[in-house]
Amino acid sequence: MTPEQFRQLAETWGGDVERWPEATREAARRLAASAEGAAVLDEQGRLDRLLAVAPEIETARADRSSLLVLQRLAAMPQQNHRPSWYRLLRWPALVPAASLACSALVGVWLAGAMPYVHSPSDPLSVMSGVFDVYAMGFGSVQ
Amino acid sequence: MSEVSARRQQAFRILMRRHMPRALRVAQRIVRDPAEADDIGQEAFMRVWTHAASFDPQVAKFTTWLYRIVLNLTFDRTRRRTFLPLEEAGDVPDLGPHAVERLIADEELSLLNRAMAGLSDRQRGAIALFHMEGLSGEEAAKAMDVSAKAFESLLGRARATLKANIQKIQETGSYA
Repeated sequence: MTPEQFRQLAETWGGDVERWPEATREAARRLAASAEGAAVLDEQGRLDRLLAVAPEIETARADRSSLLVLQRLAAMPQQNHRPSWYRLLRWPALVPAASLACSALVGVWLAGAMPYVHSPSDPLSVMSGVFDVYAMGFGSVQ
Repeated sequence: MSEVSARRQQAFRILMRRHMPRALRVAQRIVRDPAEADDIGQEAFMRVWTHAASFDPQVAKFTTWLYRIVLNLTFDRTRRRTFLPLEEAGDVPDLGPHAVERLIADEELSLLNRAMAGLSDRQRGAIALFHMEGLSGEEAAKAMDVSAKAFESLLGRARATLKANIQKIQETGSYA
């Protein structure tokens, strides 16, 4: 690193070699040890100290800003804070769809719960069934 | 921050208590108007709340993310603004207990604030992040969303312009 490069780096990054890009630090430290290098850093360090002075922010001022943010959040519509699934609850076809789904569920449950009786198909049983039907017709109050 | 993403207001309050002064400080350094800096700080935290889910701690630190939000808001506002009187060149901070030293320091700072008014917003942003907030060159470049090389160039130009402005003010009373 030449003295001119050292000066340019100091003008860009300031008087603290440890804040310069890592690749330049090793060589910069050697030049900083010389009287000329130290003078360059001292000159830039004075500007650094001025630039480091921050505007004073009182706690009360920061708190007031925080409070205003909370007030703005409180004034925001609530649905913005709800999860996306909440929108489904406001779907207009929700009640008919839920009814249909419940009916289907009950049907499936009944089909599973009722005993499955396979009617016999031999001729005697068929005849017996036919006569039972006729007997019900003749014997009924109708 | 994960609790803020989960919409816990108590966590958000703690986050604001810790970081609101930082947001106001950076905004004020750039816009040089405390009232406008307050607006920017508030808007920045509204964005933190509404975009909390998009924050990824693997990609950046929270402070870097916050600086980026503040800088974007600040640059947007100053881009829209057409005129800023020189008199709005910021308050002079109280530096120390000794009156004479403070007077000298006040004069220096007054001169510096006037010279800072002649910089672009991005140059003031670079100085605020690197010198005032103490970020490294890489961190500041990340917060400004520019490459390390571009940040180096921005900071170098900012310091050179500042020095030239100070010299002009001392010689003629104005940097313009």
